[in-house]
Amino acid sequence: MGGTSYSLGQTLLKIENVCLEYDGRPVLSNVSAEVRDIIVPGRVQGQVVGVLGPSGCGKTSLFRIIAGLTAPTSGRVSVNGFDRPVRAGEVGVVSQSYPLFDHRTVLGNLMLAAKQKEKDSQAAHDKVMGLLREFELEDKFSLYPAQLSGGQRQRCAIIQQILCSEHFLLMDEPFSGLDLLMLEKTCELIAKVADMDDLNTIVVVTHDVTAACSVADHLWLMGRGSDGSGNKLPGSSIVKEYNLIERDLCWQPGIITTERFTTFVREVKDEFRRL
Amino acid sequence: MTHAAAVFAPNAVLSRNTVRILVATQVTVVFLLWAFSPFVLLPKPGEVLNALGELWREGLGTELITSFYLNLEAIALATIVSLLLAYATVMPFFRPVVALLSKLRFLSLVGLTFFFTLMAKSGHQLKLSLLAFSVSVFFVTGMADVIEGVPKEEFDLARTLRMGEWRVVWEVIVLGQVDKAFDVLRQNAAIGWMMLTMVEGIVRSEGGVGTILLDQNHHFRLAAVFAIQLTILILGLAQDYGIGVAKNLFCPYAALTLERK
Repeated sequence: MGGTSYSLGQTLLKIENVCLEYDGRPVLSNVSAEVRDIIVPGRVQGQVVGVLGPSGCGKTSLFRIIAGLTAPTSGRVSVNGFDRPVRAGEVGVVSQSYPLFDHRTVLGNLMLAAKQKEKDSQAAHDKVMGLLREFELEDKFSLYPAQLSGGQRQRCAIIQQILCSEHFLLMDEPFSGLDLLMLEKTCELIAKVADMDDLNTIVVVTHDVTAACSVADHLWLMGRGSDGSGNKLPGSSIVKEYNLIERDLCWQPGIITTERFTTFVREVKDEFRRL
Repeated sequence: MTHAAAVFAPNAVLSRNTVRILVATQVTVVFLLWAFSPFVLLPKPGEVLNALGELWREGLGTELITSFYLNLEAIALATIVSLLLAYATVMPFFRPVVALLSKLRFLSLVGLTFFFTLMAKSGHQLKLSLLAFSVSVFFVTGMADVIEGVPKEEFDLARTLRMGEWRVVWEVIVLGQVDKAFDVLRQNAAIGWMMLTMVEGIVRSEGGVGTILLDQNHHFRLAAVFAIQLTILILGLAQDYGIGVAKNLFCPYAALTLERK
């Protein structure tokens, strides 16, 4: 065990034998994994899971299934211990293009999300304004999404989803096309959102190994496994899981500059290449 | 780059002033070509102006009001019917019906007159239904295409915000496409004026600018024909401008991502 004392609580997200086929072609094959509440004494600690895998391995398909937007061919995803499949809306989704309703202002977009959970308009408004302040967007509330920069749009899309979801946020390729500075800011943002509540769980789907290792407490490596003779199996699954807490590689500022982090990233990349 | 070179550069974005100069120059050139055209059958601007004065004294103003009112009524009716039909395509049951209606735009109005005459109770109703029908078949085609083209991502966004499917329709299809509905309306309101003369020619009760146009055309009074066409053009441009102003007022976000605002 690493340097931080922690324990695991209830299961927050459970993926059970999920299979997906398109026109008889297997895309996902028996994907199983779970996210459990990480309890660190004396501080609020959310969960961040990085899902890594090569292009075309079915990451986005799994993303849509976890979000409740696509039904799997078989198997099930459930959240918060519910004995039923996840429903759209329970898991927030921030896709690569940070979608927002272009016909609504920032405030309009956020109020739309806030009022799905908070029926009292004033309370919803207060919550929205509080989050806008928290994410340094309070002076942008009257702008339309087209008037926001990429970073502002990303933050706005994240606020919209956390206002509405049950502590879950899925992010599809949040590091794609970012420069070094923006990449660091995005990692800080993910950690900030995760640590806003003990139950907050962020699943980051990406192919950026270094960024995923720097932000996650657990990593799931997706790809097609091999049979005994080395032939690739049809459909992707989670072929390897890494616990970065056990390796003492998370929640530490400046960890990415250490030798053991670099060694770990190399290990993951080597595994990645074999997929 | 100089202004002169900029107007021929691909995708060049011009200042408002340059655009004004460009438009004024082109209008002047067209006017001069018209005024000094060697084509003897083409009535000169002065003749058209005289014909317009004469037509006005003979009651062109009243006929214009009749036609304008008829066109407005038809566009309003066509807009309501077409939007309802296009929105109904969110339900699979209505998709074949709307697809069939859309195909009817290839039919000539003349061939449908008898059918509409049987249903209409007055000349005005006949004209109104013919005009509304002819605009609707184009309107519904344009609007159904707009709805068909809504990206999956927008539906996903609405669903992740816990909206039920009818709320998704309201947010994504109705509110989300208002700006495009204005564009479709703009195109089809122009088609209304184009069809108006044909409709007023088929049903001559109540008169209207189309009836006068056909009469003048029949007697080969080209100056009067030009005068009426010019009047329709000015009215059409005003209508187009009005719809554009309404779009900018209700959908200020629509132009934010355009290169040429």
